[in-house]
Amino acid sequence: MARGVTKVYDMGEVQVHALRGVDMDLYAGELIVLLGPSGSGKSTLLNILGGLDRATDGHVHYRDWDITRASEKELTLYRRKHVGFVFQFYNLIPSLTAKENVAAVTEIAENPMRPEEALELVGLGHRINHFPAHLSGGEQQRVAIARAIAKRPAVLLCDEPTGALDSETGIVVLEAIDRVNRELGAATALITHNVDIQHMANRVIRMANGLVASVETIEKRLRPSELHW
Amino acid sequence: MRALNHKLFRELWELKIQVLAISLVLASGLATYVMSAAVLNSLQTTQQRLYSEFRFPDVFISLKRAPESVAPRLAAIPGMREVETRVTAPATIALEGYALPINGQIVSIPKGEQKLNLLYVRAGRLPEPDRDQEVVVSDGFAEAQKLQLGTTLLLTINGRQRRVIAVGVVSTPEFIYQLAPGSIVPDFANYAVIWMNRKSLEAAYNMTGAFNQVAGTLEPGASLKNVLDAMDVILEPYGGLDAYGRKDQASHRYLTEEFRQLSTMALLFPMIFLSVAAFLLNVVLSRLMQTQRGQIAILKAFGYPTSDIVVHYLKLALLIAIVGLIVGITGGMFLGRGLTGMYMTVYRFPYLDFSVSRDVVIWSAAYCFACALAGTVVAVLRAAGESPAVAMQPETPGSYRPSILERLGLDHLFSQPTKMILRNLERRPLKSALSMLGVAMSAGILIMGGFWQDAVDYMVYSQLRRAQIDDLSVTFIGPMSGKALGSLASLPGVRYVEPTRAVPARLRFEHRSYRAALQGVDNAGSLRRLLDQNLRRVELPKDGLIVTDYLARILGARVGDMLTVELLEGTRAVRQVPLAGVVNEYVGVNAYMRLDSLNHFMREGDAVSGAYLAVDPEKEPEVYTRLREMPAVASTASRKRVLQAFYDLMAQQSLMFSYINTMLAAFIAIGVIYNTARITLSERSRELASLRVLGYTRGEVSYILLGELALLVFVGIPVGLGIGYLLALMLSMMAQSELFRVPFVIGQGTYAFAALVVLSAAGVSAFVVRRRVDHFNLVEVLKARE
Repeated sequence: MARGVTKVYDMGEVQVHALRGVDMDLYAGELIVLLGPSGSGKSTLLNILGGLDRATDGHVHYRDWDITRASEKELTLYRRKHVGFVFQFYNLIPSLTAKENVAAVTEIAENPMRPEEALELVGLGHRINHFPAHLSGGEQQRVAIARAIAKRPAVLLCDEPTGALDSETGIVVLEAIDRVNRELGAATALITHNVDIQHMANRVIRMANGLVASVETIEKRLRPSELHW
Repeated sequence: MRALNHKLFRELWELKIQVLAISLVLASGLATYVMSAAVLNSLQTTQQRLYSEFRFPDVFISLKRAPESVAPRLAAIPGMREVETRVTAPATIALEGYALPINGQIVSIPKGEQKLNLLYVRAGRLPEPDRDQEVVVSDGFAEAQKLQLGTTLLLTINGRQRRVIAVGVVSTPEFIYQLAPGSIVPDFANYAVIWMNRKSLEAAYNMTGAFNQVAGTLEPGASLKNVLDAMDVILEPYGGLDAYGRKDQASHRYLTEEFRQLSTMALLFPMIFLSVAAFLLNVVLSRLMQTQRGQIAILKAFGYPTSDIVVHYLKLALLIAIVGLIVGITGGMFLGRGLTGMYMTVYRFPYLDFSVSRDVVIWSAAYCFACALAGTVVAVLRAAGESPAVAMQPETPGSYRPSILERLGLDHLFSQPTKMILRNLERRPLKSALSMLGVAMSAGILIMGGFWQDAVDYMVYSQLRRAQIDDLSVTFIGPMSGKALGSLASLPGVRYVEPTRAVPARLRFEHRSYRAALQGVDNAGSLRRLLDQNLRRVELPKDGLIVTDYLARILGARVGDMLTVELLEGTRAVRQVPLAGVVNEYVGVNAYMRLDSLNHFMREGDAVSGAYLAVDPEKEPEVYTRLREMPAVASTASRKRVLQAFYDLMAQQSLMFSYINTMLAAFIAIGVIYNTARITLSERSRELASLRVLGYTRGEVSYILLGELALLVFVGIPVGLGIGYLLALMLSMMAQSELFRVPFVIGQGTYAFAALVVLSAAGVSAFVVRRRVDHFNLVEVLKARE
């Protein structure tokens, strides 16, 4: 739950207002899609929700806890226990195999699944001992998703997870996210430039100029396999 | 190119700490080179200038006594250019208000014009030819005693006392290094060389119309050996003691030894530092070019030729080299001045022009640029040669595989972060090995520095605390009857007296021979002990010889071999004596026999030439005074004083040496560790940021980065201790000479100190890098496309 969140980047002479008072809710089990042009504040919002960045003003509550007041250490713990991230560039650790990349998270989480289980969930059960250098882009992204969800996060934040992928691979990746959302019930927020993806969401939030422009509830949530672009 | 130059300077500024670290390593190497080479150069130039200006002789001989009429025969030796005879005598010196015994050597000044061994007058003047009372004294003594011109000295020559007045202070190439008999380092306060007119010294030493030393110069192209042989033949009947060339002149020999060590230093240290610097440049530049692949590609796409890009990055390396060069030469000049100052106190050069010659600067620049190029050229060519299309693609993830420990089935023991550390190190084995070696080198250099201290301590311990435990040693003016000991023993405060007899002798084995002092020792004695390597006493058999281990090596003789001993005094008897054992001695070269056997050999009764005394500490000053009054005593040496002089010198020298050494080694350690850490950080910032996003704490992320460093340091330290061991062994082997040997001893404290300095340097580097991890901007790192 975010209330009046603003974010100002101080760039020396100019101040860039990335967020100008955003109110937003994200409920357990739902999947929302964030749409909007570049610079509209989507990523900034996501980063603040995930405890990667701090709001200049306003409050973000995770359950009953105000994360805008949390210390650096508490934010780390918050990410560690409750948040899963997926980025456009997979950011896997090249020196660890798929399974070990996931294990890097499960080793420090409280009630994780087994790495194999997480990889199974994204359809990579058969390639668990490969190093990132030997995986395709889609496979790498799915490892990244497995890594994000292996801790059974309450919040799953995906910043253009399909941005670097072709549509076919993109759909496989989205299926993985969709499945995780449904099966684990993680509150999922997904940023995309691809308007077709909005049909897999419960709600679509459009952003412009650092503000929420509109919120639309989708009646019938589609399966990723039913999407095409 | 202007835009590229802007880029160059900005990048240099961005990398400032790394640049500084590399420059310092480079500068350390160059500074040691400039220091050693410039000092060596200055010393050698000054030495040569002095030798020719002050007519340092080519040949020397001492003898018992020969009439002046023999001199023309010496002058007539083919190849001899100039000959000068003179008289020298040992003396003890008393100075009002100074209690310790001062030993001296009195040297005659010729009646007419002095032809050889000219004196450089530093203060006052030379004695007037007709004034018997006037003398000049060596500058070291004058300085140490703060002697005023006009001071009266009380000399005891040949048992007779006489008062003289110091009218001048001089130095001469003959006594650049002055060592009193029985001491191991110069002790200027307690040893003086004194010059007086020939006539008065002849009178004082019973040498009227005679001489006991000869020096000469050679015609160009003359055969040294033929001249020496001819001198020996002529002077044999007069107690001649083997003529020798410059090479064996005491002062010259010490200087030569010192020069040899300096040239080792001019080679060894710079080599270590420059190779480390080249490695660091390589690491840093390779990484820089890797991060700039895209930029390079774009520049090429714009139409910059590959050569411009190569030049651009080489400029970066050369700029770093220039910083190193400037700091290195400046530092080297500063250190060189310090070292020169130190040498001037030990080596009595009348003047020493310290200058850094053009050659030294040119060579420094050459070494420096060669090192910069060697470190970078391959990396630069490779990166600049890449096709722009390929270079603009994002880099594919690096290829990794399980590390060897995991392949051995130990993988379940490691956490993911630990696996990352191991795999990363193993992926670039050469780089890891070189980083580790860099760390090791700094530990090695530290050990090398500490080793000198340990060696000196051990030398003092074994020689002056275990082998020689007398308080005073007394030398008589000549062989005396054993009864002379009685008068020593009766002095109040003297607890115990032990006789000794020294005879110059030549030892031969097979075709090798060596001239040494053959010493007769009291087998039952306890003040001078013959000790082996393990400081255990070596028994001296009735018929047999014991020699310094180094002498046995010179002669190539083993225990049990028969040596030919040719006495160079008295009867000049020749005999075969078995080598009964060797003693471990670090200073000088000696041969020992039992006193009674030696006397039997000499066909003398119970003759002694000196004695060792154990003295009540409180009564020592009194004993000195009484000894000085005894006509038979030629010189007195105090062991305590020898120790003191030794420690004074060592403290002065090794303090500077170990200070500089520690500093330089720390530069290497910091340079290597900091750069390695920075590179790792830059290569892996993305990975580390990912982990932070996944919920890893700063500490956990730092573990991956610093764990890698820690592993390099923990492997590097023991390897470095090993390298230090070998370097010290090498130094100790190189420092073997007849003058002294450096024992190969490394204390545990030295190892611990080396490890500690490296750990501290690592700690500082780790701290700096850790702070960077703490200030990671997670969002930016992850958004960036590698």
